[in-house]
Amino acid sequence: MPTNVTIEDLQRKSHWLRQELFELVMRRKKGHLPSSYSCAEMVIALMYGGYIRGYPSAPRHPDRDRLIVSKGHAAMVLYPILADLGYFPNDELDKFATPEGRLRLYADHTIPGIETITGSLGHGLGIGCGYAYAAKQDGKDARTFVLLSDGECYEGSVWEAAMFAAHHRLDNLIVIVDRNGLCILDRTEACVKLDPLDDKWRAFGWEVLTVDGHAYRSILPALDRAVAHRSGRPMAIVSHSVKGKGISFMEHQALWHNTMPNEDQMQQARRELLDNCIDG
Amino acid sequence: MSVTHELPRDVFIDCVHQAAQRDKNIYFLSADLGAKALDRFRAERNGQFIHAGICEQNMIDVAAGLALEGKIVYVYAMAPFVTLRCYEQIKVALASMALPVTIIGVGVGYSYDDAGPTHYATEDLSCMRALGGIEIVTPCDTQSVTITAHVTYTQPALRYVRLDRVFLPSVYLPNDTRFLADGMAEIEHGDQVCLITTGYMVHRALEVSKVLQGAGYRIGVVDLYRIKPIDVSVLRRVVERYECIVTLEEHFLSGGLGSAVLEACADAGISRSILRLGIPDQYRFENGGRDYLHRLVGLDVPSLTARIAEFLSRTE
Repeated sequence: MPTNVTIEDLQRKSHWLRQELFELVMRRKKGHLPSSYSCAEMVIALMYGGYIRGYPSAPRHPDRDRLIVSKGHAAMVLYPILADLGYFPNDELDKFATPEGRLRLYADHTIPGIETITGSLGHGLGIGCGYAYAAKQDGKDARTFVLLSDGECYEGSVWEAAMFAAHHRLDNLIVIVDRNGLCILDRTEACVKLDPLDDKWRAFGWEVLTVDGHAYRSILPALDRAVAHRSGRPMAIVSHSVKGKGISFMEHQALWHNTMPNEDQMQQARRELLDNCIDG
Repeated sequence: MSVTHELPRDVFIDCVHQAAQRDKNIYFLSADLGAKALDRFRAERNGQFIHAGICEQNMIDVAAGLALEGKIVYVYAMAPFVTLRCYEQIKVALASMALPVTIIGVGVGYSYDDAGPTHYATEDLSCMRALGGIEIVTPCDTQSVTITAHVTYTQPALRYVRLDRVFLPSVYLPNDTRFLADGMAEIEHGDQVCLITTGYMVHRALEVSKVLQGAGYRIGVVDLYRIKPIDVSVLRRVVERYECIVTLEEHFLSGGLGSAVLEACADAGISRSILRLGIPDQYRFENGGRDYLHRLVGLDVPSLTARIAEFLSRTE
C-alpha cells in the first residue's frame, strides 16, 4: 500500500461508510444501498489507500488519478468519501437529492471529484480508455480506474472497450469488476450466464486478478500489483462481493436493489450496522 | 480552393489533418471508414489517428474520454452507423456533457444508393436534431465543406457534420462564407416560392428552380446549411418576401428539415403555406442508383416541379 494507512484504519472506514450511506439513503428514501455496499471496500481502498492521487481543492488537476464508478447507480458510494476528503462541504450529504443539493441519485461531472456522467451502464470503460490513451500520448503517469458492475458486463460496449484497451496496451488502465452476482431481477447466472468472467477478460488480452471484495488483505495486494505493473496489458480485478454486504436481510437479495426498508427493517439495519461486518 | 473533383470527405479530412499537424491536441477516430486523405493522416503514426475498430459505441465513449482530457476530437464513419448505431452514447457521453466532438457522417440520404436501407441515412437528421445542444450542418459543396472543417477546429463544439458520399459541384465561390454566420444562404432569389433545402438536394433544387423559372414561377432557393440551431430572425428576413415555402430533403418527413423549418416558422410567427417534400415513410430496396430511387420516391425533377406547381395552384 502506497501510504502508511493500516488495514485497521480501512476497516474503520468500512464501518463508517456503511452507516453514512445508510443515513444518506434513508434521508430521502432514494439510492442504491446494496450495490454501494458490495463495492465499498474496493472504493475505500482506492480512495484512502493511496492508490488514487487526488487533489480535493483542484478536482480536475491534470496529474490526478481518475476513478470512474461506471456502475453509476452505486456512484453514491463516493459521496461520503468525497465530502470527507474535502471535495465538497459535508452538508451536501444532508442535501442529497434535494433542490438545494448538488448530489444526485446518479453521479455526474458537475459534482467535484466525479469524473464523468454515469448511470447508463457500459460507458465508463470507453471513457476510461479515452483518459488512459490521452495520458499515454501526453506522457503522463496518471492512472485510470474503472469500476464496473458484473451486470454491466452484459453491455456489448464494455467488450468493445476491452478490445480497444488491450490493443492500445493501456496498462495505465485498471478495471475492477464488482462481481456481486446479482442484477435487478435475479442472479446473473440465472439471467444470462456471465461465467467464466475472468476468462473472458483474459481472452480479451487483459491481465486478471481475483480478490475477495470485502477483505482488505485480499484487495490491497491486488491493487499493489495493479499499480506496479507495466506489462503492456490492461489489468482487470474481478472482485467477488456480496450485494448488500452488512445488512443481513439485503445480502444476496436481488429484490433489494432499489427497495426501501420499512421502519422495523430500518431499525434492524441500524442495529446491524453498529457492528463492523469487515474484519479481513 | 479545389479544382479537382475531390470527395467531400477528402476535403474535410485534409483540412483536419493540416490542423492536426499544428495542434497535437487534435484526435481523429475512424470506425473503419477510409478515405484517401485519411491514408495520409494515418501515415503520420503519431497516435493522433485512432482506428476505433468497427465499434461505433466505444468510439463515441473514447472520444468523450479524450475530450474530457482537453482534446479536440473527430469521430468518423458512415452516417447511419456514427449516429443511430451509437445514439445513446452520443446522448450520454457527448451531448449531456456538451463535449467538443465533431461527428462526421459520410453518405447522408441515399448516398450509398446501391447498398440499401442499412446504409441509407434517411432518419439521421430527425434523430440527431432531438439531442440537446448539438449543432448540425450539411455542406453542399467543396467550399462549404472546407469552411465547415475550419470551424470545427477553430471553434470546437459538439457538431454533427453530414457529408455526401459523392463530389458535389460548386455552389459557393471561394471565400464566400455567408452561409456560416446566418446558417443559411439564399442562392437563388425570387418572391413567390421559397425552396428551402440542404446538402445534395441543393443541387436538385437548383435544377427544379430552373425549370419552374422557365415556366414563369418566381422561385428562390435557400441552402439551409445549418439545420440546428436555425436562426429564426434570419429565416424571417429571408422568407418574408415570399408568398409560400417549399422544403425539400432526401430524408423522411418525420422530424427532418421540413419539420425544422415548420418549427422555426411557428416560433417566428411566420405565416405561410408550406409544402414539405421528402422521402415517403417507407424503406426502399430497389436497385438502380440514386436518380432511380429519387424517381421512385418522387424526388426527381419532373415529380418535384409537378408537385410544386400543383401546390402553387392550390395556394393561389
